[in-house]
Amino acid sequence: MSLLDTLRNLWRSIAPRSHDDVEEELRSHQQAYAADLMRHGLSAEEAERKARIDLGQPATQNETYRAAVGLRIFDELGGDIRYGLRALRRNPGFAAVAVLSLALGIGATTAMFSLIYAVLLHPFPYAGADRIMNPVVIDEQHPDEPSWFLLNVAQFDDLRLASPVDSALGFNADHMEITGGALPEAIFGVYLTENAGTFFGMRPLLGRNIQPSDAENGGHSVVVLNYRFWQRHFGGDPHVIGRTLEINHAPYAIVGVMPRSFAFNDTNGVGDVYLPGSLMRSPANGPYLAYIPWIKLQPHVTLAGANAALEPIVRQFAKEHPERFPDHWHLALQPIIVPYQQQIGRTLRLLLAGVALLLIIGCVNCSILLLARGRTRQHELAIRSAIGASRWRIVRQLLVEAVVISCTGAVLGVAASYWLAKLPLLLSPDSFPAESVIRINLPILAFSVALALLCGILFGLVPAVHLSRHDPARMLPGRQIGVVAAPAKHRWSVLIAAQVALTLLLMATAGTAIRSFLQLTQMPLGYDPANVLKLGIMLHVEDPGEWSRIQSREARTAYIEQIRQKIASVPGVSTVAVGTDATPPYIDAASSFNIDGTRDREQPQARLILVDQRYFAALRIPLLQGRIWNADENTRGDFISVVNRAFATRYLSLPNALGRQLRIPGLAHHTRFGAVSGQSTDWRQIIGVVGDARNDGVDRPVVPAIYLPYTAVMQPYAQFFVRTQGDPLTYLHSIRVAIASVASDQQISDGAFNGTFTLNEAIERDAQYSRQRLFSILFGVFSAMALVLALVGIFSVVAYSVAQRTTEFGVRLALGAPRSHILWVAARIALVSSAAGIVIGLALDSFLGAILAHWMQSAFAAWSLLFPAALLAVSALLACALPARSATAVPPAEALRYE
Amino acid sequence: MVKQVELPQGTLEMLILKAVSLGPLHGYGILLRIQQISNQRLEILQGSFYTAIYRLEHRGWIKGEWGESENNRRARFYALTRTGTRQLKAETAKWTDMAAVVAGILDKRADEL
Repeated sequence: MSLLDTLRNLWRSIAPRSHDDVEEELRSHQQAYAADLMRHGLSAEEAERKARIDLGQPATQNETYRAAVGLRIFDELGGDIRYGLRALRRNPGFAAVAVLSLALGIGATTAMFSLIYAVLLHPFPYAGADRIMNPVVIDEQHPDEPSWFLLNVAQFDDLRLASPVDSALGFNADHMEITGGALPEAIFGVYLTENAGTFFGMRPLLGRNIQPSDAENGGHSVVVLNYRFWQRHFGGDPHVIGRTLEINHAPYAIVGVMPRSFAFNDTNGVGDVYLPGSLMRSPANGPYLAYIPWIKLQPHVTLAGANAALEPIVRQFAKEHPERFPDHWHLALQPIIVPYQQQIGRTLRLLLAGVALLLIIGCVNCSILLLARGRTRQHELAIRSAIGASRWRIVRQLLVEAVVISCTGAVLGVAASYWLAKLPLLLSPDSFPAESVIRINLPILAFSVALALLCGILFGLVPAVHLSRHDPARMLPGRQIGVVAAPAKHRWSVLIAAQVALTLLLMATAGTAIRSFLQLTQMPLGYDPANVLKLGIMLHVEDPGEWSRIQSREARTAYIEQIRQKIASVPGVSTVAVGTDATPPYIDAASSFNIDGTRDREQPQARLILVDQRYFAALRIPLLQGRIWNADENTRGDFISVVNRAFATRYLSLPNALGRQLRIPGLAHHTRFGAVSGQSTDWRQIIGVVGDARNDGVDRPVVPAIYLPYTAVMQPYAQFFVRTQGDPLTYLHSIRVAIASVASDQQISDGAFNGTFTLNEAIERDAQYSRQRLFSILFGVFSAMALVLALVGIFSVVAYSVAQRTTEFGVRLALGAPRSHILWVAARIALVSSAAGIVIGLALDSFLGAILAHWMQSAFAAWSLLFPAALLAVSALLACALPARSATAVPPAEALRYE
Repeated sequence: MVKQVELPQGTLEMLILKAVSLGPLHGYGILLRIQQISNQRLEILQGSFYTAIYRLEHRGWIKGEWGESENNRRARFYALTRTGTRQLKAETAKWTDMAAVVAGILDKRADEL
């Protein structure tokens, strides 16, 4: 058969002949036949009768037609579906429970899958995103801390022209402010090399991206907006292209708006605006020029090959700037997804396993419900089979009913998944790439439809095969006497045991997650985050008039001190401290240093924390030895330092730490607006040792840190840490007013950890903290759902069997059986199988415990199983006892009348 | 009374194709023509007859169109399509071949082997 024929047949199946058409043809045939018969001598009446007998009813001819052309199967399936829906409507309680148990499972699984799709499979909207690499330098002494490196233009070109490189993007970012409006607004600007448009290969939402011609004449003053910034600042105005945006007192023409999914770059700050990289080199902005590279490899270049080809080039850079590279290092090209995969990949897989468990529990529950309900349907099925339905037909009908349930569940589930998928993003926003947009798309829909069908078949098959097996002859003679114990209960018991075991597994996981989260929250931080507000100010470095006023270190210190005092005068504020990039629990700035009496060759590393002397009081970091610097020393900034305990124990012998000297050569070359005194890199005496306050994340050991007066390196910005009485957020307004009284155009920001204004909020944004919280909340929810499902399963089995055996119980009672015995008989099977399930679950947990602990990065204690197991046992007992009690409440006389 | 012949499976469709190949016919007409050609030796069950017609039309071998019958009644006339013509030729050849082979075997006498 040719393709054309196949298509034609398909068309005829889609558009078959109409019902009337078929009927009319047969009627005309009948008439012709009858006329013929009359010609042969039959009376009109007889002829018509014979024609009708020979040809059958025209009304039913359509069925013959549809069977002939192969459409019958659809009619039957349609009938099965209608019948299934009717059966569901007739039994709404059953339907609701079954549909909901699946909707939970399918919704959660779909949500998790769409999250995984968005985060791990397709997180970046850039063209050739899987070929984009982030070159990092791996310090061989600290291989788990890869670092980025900066390149000047010539070096960047060397890298760009290397053979395995298809194209390269250079970028750098800077704090900026929008001027010209009523209030200045702090923003984050990202400079991009002018090939950005082709490198990303994304169509801007409006206008254009940065393009090569923007590099002409030292860079055109054009700006491309980030979607969120566009929404926030311009209210999503579609006519924004061509308007002017004043940044740092210079006008920029708005040429484009990027789509929502473009959020470059997550790892060192998502830009509000994107500017041509050439502007970075313009004379007005000083001699500062440095790019962080992203490279896109040629297709078919292997990672190892590219690594080998690029390493010599970077080695050359290291010769030119040895201070930017550690002593022993190698180059690694990291696909840009790697940081997220490491952080969140494991989390997501674990969550997926959790929802898959939930789904299986939901399916098992549906199986139990169907089996239980099937017992009451045996009569109906027996009738169907007695009047000629084949076994396959009955199995098919039961399967269709199961699929109807699962599809209804899937529709609800997919709708719910839209919100469910956002939950992890809300709970742990910094763990996911900002670019990943959760949306229901084709792969995800296909996934959930496949899932629904699979579930329907999975949980429908066992009951269908089981129920279709009965011999109608045995079932039909009406009502057997109900004293016979119902057969095939072992199937329920297996299912219940499985369900209980899986539920226990989920509950144990949730228990572990919650326990380790609680441990995390109770972990000593070394500082007191309660009631501390943090906020940042950005100095007006780009305004030439203002800049000349505050350019000197002394003027800046005075300005900051003036603001500090104003904040301190707000009623209810107890301590105000100053710092730059000093927000715990994660303080990023690392630097190498020398200690007197050690060889210069070794370059130990420590966190460099720039603060004023009040910082320790404001954060309640205890002083262990010596003293903190005083106000005069703070203004001078040189010759002194304070270290933390970790520093003293690692690099000095703790009792003799005081009086030793250290120097930090890196302080000399700081950023372009940094102001450093002439002696900042001189030897500094260690005058005090303070307690360890978390500086590498909530859960990680404190790393060695050096505290210096913030005046040692004056940045163009500063942070204030304000200890208040009561909720610090209520002070935000009066503090703003206080700052405005010093300088009305001084904008303030949240300082660090986007969108948080208190130290407690900063902790909540910590990666490990938010991940553990995510685990404990989601697994808590999963296990609660699983528990409810398991209890519903147990409850309905007992309830159904009690309803079935009313007569039996009546007889037993009439014969004098004690009520406790009836209770036991009614609940026995469910109880025994629940107990078996708990035992199996315990075994499973201790078997999987080690694997789970590894995945969750937290210890898995055997005793933590006891509570979930006990909870499960008690609630299972209740779920059995409640329906079983109604068995004992049957008055014997009424039970016997049942027959 | 003429002796009735029972049709082997699938041959009814071939006969319908043949009947229609002589000119467009409505359902009852096809029935009559087959009986007429076979000298009333074939009786066709009216039920299976329409199943065969529907199937042929669905496959695109015959094509039905509404028209006026000889006594001015509306009737659905079937005509052979081009695929149908090809199919009839192929089926006829196959049938003839098979009949010849079967007949050849059945005609054999012991002394001829």
